[in-house]
Amino acid sequence: MESFKKHKKILLWTLILNIVLVATHLGEFWPFSIFPMFSQAGKEWSRGVVEQVSDSSRADLWDTKPITKIEDRILPLKDYGIHEIDFANFITKTEVWNEKRLNGMRSTFQIDQYPGEMWLATRVRGFMNGQDSVVIEAIPMFLFTADTTIKNPHLFPQQR
Amino acid sequence: MNILNNLFQFDQPDSIGTKLQLRAFEFFAVIYTLIYTWEWAFYIPRLSDVVLPLGLANYMDISIFFSNSISIYNAVLITLFTLIPLLFKRVRWFYAFAFLLFHLQHVARFSQGEIPHSANLVGFSLMGLALAAIFFKGMKKELTFAFGFALFFMGLGYTSAAISKLIATGITWVDGYHLWLWMGEKSIDILSLQGEFQYNWLQELSFNSRFLATLILSFGLLTELLGFTVWFKKFRPYIIIMLIGMHVGIDLTMNIFFKTFTIQLIIMGFFWNRYINRIPEVEKWEKNWFVRRVLLY
Repeated sequence: MESFKKHKKILLWTLILNIVLVATHLGEFWPFSIFPMFSQAGKEWSRGVVEQVSDSSRADLWDTKPITKIEDRILPLKDYGIHEIDFANFITKTEVWNEKRLNGMRSTFQIDQYPGEMWLATRVRGFMNGQDSVVIEAIPMFLFTADTTIKNPHLFPQQR
Repeated sequence: MNILNNLFQFDQPDSIGTKLQLRAFEFFAVIYTLIYTWEWAFYIPRLSDVVLPLGLANYMDISIFFSNSISIYNAVLITLFTLIPLLFKRVRWFYAFAFLLFHLQHVARFSQGEIPHSANLVGFSLMGLALAAIFFKGMKKELTFAFGFALFFMGLGYTSAAISKLIATGITWVDGYHLWLWMGEKSIDILSLQGEFQYNWLQELSFNSRFLATLILSFGLLTELLGFTVWFKKFRPYIIIMLIGMHVGIDLTMNIFFKTFTIQLIIMGFFWNRYINRIPEVEKWEKNWFVRRVLLY
């Protein structure tokens, strides 16, 4: 039987490094992690979709609505090389929508290469309705065309 | 029960079975390092802004990787620093450079707010190979260390995930309502990715029965909690089967398939060395040039 003294020492030091790094970096220092995925249960969530718009003068364009109202005209991001989770994080985690952020989203979409297209970046919110069912609603944020970006006037009233 | 013996001790360490299993682990670690590296290399140039700095990106401006070809050059270096030690079985400490550069590639790619864990076990495997190359001499010692090292962090990771759930939510984490919420959330990710989505039979059943949804989450939490038992040979194959079952369950309910984790569980979780050694005339394989020079050590 080997004693594995050296193995023990390396394992122990790596474990200490692991603990120190995750404790000082909010639980993540790749590949070290506390693996917190899905740890907070029952909370409202936010994701993102892009709605393909054919008529930008539509009356309900900027209204918050159930996801079922738009689910048949969602842009398949895989066809445009856009990572859906990146997009969801971008639209849900951005707190201040300044020009840099908006241009960052335009650059991710590369919409300049699709003249004639109108894409409505939409935040999607999900929550339990009195513990009976899951409610999923779509909140339009920005309408992108090849040369313009229009903000939802209900959410950004003075910055249209 | 000595954990170290269970992690690092192999039956018949010089047998062809053990050599093949250890090299399969090494090949897997390198192949998946390269798959991730190149996949990210072509995506990183499209990024423009750091939303969430991770790892070393907290201490350097990782946006230097954006809007240029640095991620491609980095991928070329990682490729060299992994393939040379893998195939030539020399300059094994190149793995240490590969690990460091792979870390940078990871934090550049995941600077957009998402914190995925799909590449963590590959990261631990590469880290194990790097540490082994620095502190041990000889392929046998190196590979047995790296294998045990990855097994240790595999078990720790799963159990840590369960503890995170118990701390953040408590035992009520298993309530089936929570699964409903997550299934709704993941349905939006698929809708966003593919432009369409339909719930499958298990998701429909779970939405119709809070009890079934609770049962599914309970199995998941218990399995994760027992993750550390992979450290012990006696329990390893059983917990690995439970973990694979859990990943299939996660795929069916939440449309997230941890392919890399599952393949690695299969490679590391069973005693393939014993099974291979039982194959009649297995020693003759060593006469084959490719097996002797490339697959074995």
